Amino acid sequence: MTDLWHAGSAMTATPRLPGVLAPFARRRTWNELLYSLAGLPAGIACFVFSVVTLSVGGALVVVFVGLPIIAISGSTARQLGAGFRRSSQTLTGVAVPAPPPLHPRPGLFGWIGSSLLDVTAWRAQLYLILKLPLGITSFGVAVTFYATGVGGVSYPIWRPFLPCQNGRDGQCHVGASLGPYYFLDTPFRIGLGVVIGVLVLLAAPWAVRSALKLDHWAVRALLGATQSQLRVEQLTRTRTTAIDDSAATLRRIERDLHDGAQARMVSVAMTIGLAREKLAEGADPAEASRLLDTAHTSAKEAVGELRDLARGIHPPVLDTGLASALQTLAAHSAVPVELHTTIAGRQDPAIETMAYFCVAELLANVAKHSEATQAWINAGTAGPWLRVAVSDDGRGGARTAPGSGLAGLADRVATVDGTLTVDSPPGGPTTVSIDVPLTSGRSA
Amino acid sequence: MRIVIAEDSVILRDGLVGLLTDRGHEVVSAVSDGESLRRDVARHLPDVCVVDIRMPPSFTDEGLRAALAIRRAQPDVGVLVFSQYVETRYAAELLAGSAKGVGYLLKDRVADVREFVDSLTRVASGGTALDPEVVSQLLGASRRTAALSTLTPREREVLEHMAEGLSNAGIAAVLTITDRAVEKHIANVFIKLALPPSENDNRRVLAVLRYLDS
Repeated sequence: MTDLWHAGSAMTATPRLPGVLAPFARRRTWNELLYSLAGLPAGIACFVFSVVTLSVGGALVVVFVGLPIIAISGSTARQLGAGFRRSSQTLTGVAVPAPPPLHPRPGLFGWIGSSLLDVTAWRAQLYLILKLPLGITSFGVAVTFYATGVGGVSYPIWRPFLPCQNGRDGQCHVGASLGPYYFLDTPFRIGLGVVIGVLVLLAAPWAVRSALKLDHWAVRALLGATQSQLRVEQLTRTRTTAIDDSAATLRRIERDLHDGAQARMVSVAMTIGLAREKLAEGADPAEASRLLDTAHTSAKEAVGELRDLARGIHPPVLDTGLASALQTLAAHSAVPVELHTTIAGRQDPAIETMAYFCVAELLANVAKHSEATQAWINAGTAGPWLRVAVSDDGRGGARTAPGSGLAGLADRVATVDGTLTVDSPPGGPTTVSIDVPLTSGRSA
Repeated sequence: MRIVIAEDSVILRDGLVGLLTDRGHEVVSAVSDGESLRRDVARHLPDVCVVDIRMPPSFTDEGLRAALAIRRAQPDVGVLVFSQYVETRYAAELLAGSAKGVGYLLKDRVADVREFVDSLTRVASGGTALDPEVVSQLLGASRRTAALSTLTPREREVLEHMAEGLSNAGIAAVLTITDRAVEKHIANVFIKLALPPSENDNRRVLAVLRYLDS
């Protein structure tokens, strides 16, 4: 139980108290009490706001001013919802992903239209209306438990001030009554009142927290981003990665061509041009022949560079399938590689290419950073997933820090809804696995 | 000629030095970035410098910036800008104000050694050398289609060579016609396009380019 209180607690230094009293030393307990008590006035205000603005707006739709009123109400509800989401997070530790901001269409009418169709605003309106019963509940529970508890604990102090009541025995009793004729006025019964007070007070933080569960549920369901909004956000992010990635690739190819083959071909043309000039001038043929040798060598180098570049864009071996492409990669690796693959047949070309380049980069990482003497590739399909794992016996400590090569790979894998997992304790061994859905979203 | 070369590709730089030395010119300095180029041009005051556009550190238009700075600071030094692509915008920047001692050529042109060295010599002696590719881009984009369509094919060729910066004698040599014929074609072109006659080759280049670009 104690662990539950630790989880998400904002307190850093907790005063030492006996276990049962510990909750009272935590700021979160008091934050939750505050949130519960504030829930009632907030609930009343929000309920009134939503009901009044929506009904006034609704009634005035026929004279057109209704729609702007509903739009303004929605936009305000959105802000209030964001406020509740934040205060719920700060005070009670409920972390809910924020819904995306509204991107209204241009112009006043665009704004009104966008606001009227804003799902986030309507969900917030629903929360504001529900906040009334939620606030009543949390307020009621909090007041009941804390008042009963504090009242019970302090009973001996305030009992003497109670008025005298006549019991069944006709005598005067100074004390609270449980039931019509059961007065807490004997030392034992006073003690009983205190014990009940202590128990209720100790239970109060738990009761308040339990009552807030309903509010948490409503915050999660109505004030957070929906699944589809989260999906859109993820797709937007990975799309950006994909676009940046392909732009960077094109730039790199252009640079490689410009600095490599293109420069070499200019030099070949220049050298041949000079040789032709020499021959036309009737110079020593041996000199022209030397120039042609240079041009010949340069031309062969240019051909080699073009071949490497073309292979870097799309390795022809991929056309025969991922399994044989991985074989080629393993054979060309600087570190000895053992390949184990159970991939049968062909997969989606986009997925095969993705897997191929990931493995190529992972093997390059192994050769560059790991100091490994042996690496392994395990590739296979499991249901609708392709899993490729590259392991090595190197020094470990690989990490997907932002901006690192592995983070870049993870981003790229995410563009096809795949994941990259790194298991690399210091001292090794390292295993980096990528899991990608075989359908690549094409038919999904 | 005394020449400074700025080219970041080692192959091309060495090739150019070899080629120009072989053709009897003196390469006083060969550098690989704009900063060094400006320093060495100021120090050696060569007849001409050959400048690659894309050089470190920015790998964008470093060379062009350096070339423009040299045109301002050392107007007597010819500047031949040398690139793997031609951009009309770069040509316009280079020729803004004056076409004296300026050239802009595709790197491929070096394959025709004699023509390349001729262009370089022309730039060194204050003339202009504009790549045929730039001229054809300008012609292609020109809005003066009506007037241009009145030119005969031969006159159009003459116009293109004028825009490239060739002298009358140069045009005559390329088209293998007489100087007299060239003069006649030029006179016709000027009349058909309503251009003011101009004796100076550089002014003539500018006049033609402005006409095409307007």
